[in-house]
Amino acid sequence: MFDFTVLTNNWPLLWDGLLMTLYFTVITILAGLAIGLIVGLIQLSTFRPLVLVGQLYVEFFRNIPLLVTLLWVYYAFPIFAGINVTKFWAGFIGLSCYVGSFYAEILRAGVQSIDQGQTDAATAIGMSYSQRMRRIILPQAFRRMIPPLAGQSIIQMKNTTLLSMITVPDLLYQASYISSFTYRPMEVYTAVGAIFLIILVPLTYLARKLEKSGMMSK
Amino acid sequence: MTGNPISPRPDGANARQVLQLERICLDFAAKRVLHGVDLKVAEGEVVVLIGASGSGKTSLLRCINLLNSPTSGRIVIDGETIFDRQAGGGREIAKQEVNRIRAKTGMVFQQFNLFPHMTALQNVMEGPVTVKKQPAGAARDKAMQLLKAMGLEQHGDKLPRQLSGGQQQRVAIARAMAMQPKVMLFDEPTSALDPELVGEVMKAMVELAKSGMTMVIVTHELGFAFEIADRIVFLDQGLIAEEGPPHKILLHPTHERLKSFVGRFHESADMLRPFLEAMHADQA
Ligand SMILES: Nc1ncnc2c1ncn2[C@@H]1O[C@H](COP(=O)(O)OP(=O)(O)OP(=O)(O)O)[C@@H](O)[C@H]1O
Ligand SMILES: [Mg+2]
Repeated sequence: MFDFTVLTNNWPLLWDGLLMTLYFTVITILAGLAIGLIVGLIQLSTFRPLVLVGQLYVEFFRNIPLLVTLLWVYYAFPIFAGINVTKFWAGFIGLSCYVGSFYAEILRAGVQSIDQGQTDAATAIGMSYSQRMRRIILPQAFRRMIPPLAGQSIIQMKNTTLLSMITVPDLLYQASYISSFTYRPMEVYTAVGAIFLIILVPLTYLARKLEKSGMMSK
Repeated sequence: MTGNPISPRPDGANARQVLQLERICLDFAAKRVLHGVDLKVAEGEVVVLIGASGSGKTSLLRCINLLNSPTSGRIVIDGETIFDRQAGGGREIAKQEVNRIRAKTGMVFQQFNLFPHMTALQNVMEGPVTVKKQPAGAARDKAMQLLKAMGLEQHGDKLPRQLSGGQQQRVAIARAMAMQPKVMLFDEPTSALDPELVGEVMKAMVELAKSGMTMVIVTHELGFAFEIADRIVFLDQGLIAEEGPPHKILLHPTHERLKSFVGRFHESADMLRPFLEAMHADQA
């Protein structure tokens, strides 16, 4: 019933797709972390207008479906701005902004979960805002943030499959392509699912272990 | 002013003022918590703040190092005006200045608030190294000295969670002392401790008082207040209702609410009354 020669024959195509998926996962997570750090700190500032801008950003990207964001950046944004946006840039921008909004929330929640007494004690020995953040608050918050960051990053890898909708040749796009000329969707999509399982199950397990050890260190 | 047996300090009206609070008012949202508090503390003096829950003791203490920003009033520490805001005027002090001057006070919290990701020694060194930019070596030596004075020389490399509550609170005292403050502020330093650990923290504080440190202490332990205070201040609904030497406040109160407040202490102290009276006979 299964004919796995479809896979072995077209392995280079799948491999390219997998590399594309991993590539986008890594670069959008890195860009997302940078965005999340900036937006998160903006949300934590005491300057109301800034806080509002941060909140707006977060609500915007968290509440628009990622697929809509991707399609908008690729098809609508170039018309608005009158510039040419390649599918790679569109995918990069859409995915990074999206995951950045979640990272920003994780940072904000992590910092706000640190007891007010820590800020009081740091302030009382004369530390400035940036000294408090750098030396006292963020080191503690980061420890608590590792599990949710890991979780969100795993979701991010799965979300890269949406890139296929704007014709970025990721794993899923390549699979669709292969099945379109081999007429064997069963083998091809099963393989895609299996590849995600093989990569993400160990990572999920690792994340859970991190969570446990994070709780132990409290 | 008169001397408490354990707190040596220059007597008389010409003693230098380390801390001056003038007409401190504080509002939380629409609620006025402090209604114009005046308080002066002389160099080497130990002042204990007592009062019912919600009377504003913590709020007042936090105003002194501007953890709470008063709605109005003036604060002078060690001759420097660190806060001056009058209804419709006054001048604000720049943030950087506030951080510098704030380090002239040391604060010890009810919940210790040690930095949990740092060892005891690192906790004590943090202020000198990060804020005062002292070289790590010198700061370490000084921190070790302070820990030793607190009886903790063997615990420098331990994390806060590896220490008992009493040990943590003594690290917290050392951390505050490391900034060489002009005045130490204590907010119920023993009320989060198991009863058997209260004594070691009190003892450390008495030692500090003996060394001539200026201290403002909030505590519910009236026996301790009696022992350590030069002056007890009774706060009632955001105002100083009565103040004076311990024997007067605790043994001969006049204000109605103070009378009922110290009532419980009286009952247990009645037995000791002759001794207590004798102890402070020279002040009466
Ligand atoms: N951050 C805050 N926001 C709003 N109200 C506050 C805040 N902190 C204190 N209050 C209010 O101010 C009043 C004085 O509180 P404060 O903590 O100074 O009292 P306290 O004398 O220290 O009491 P306790 O003995 O219970 O510690 C209380 O009515 C309290 O509810
Ligand atoms: Mg209090």
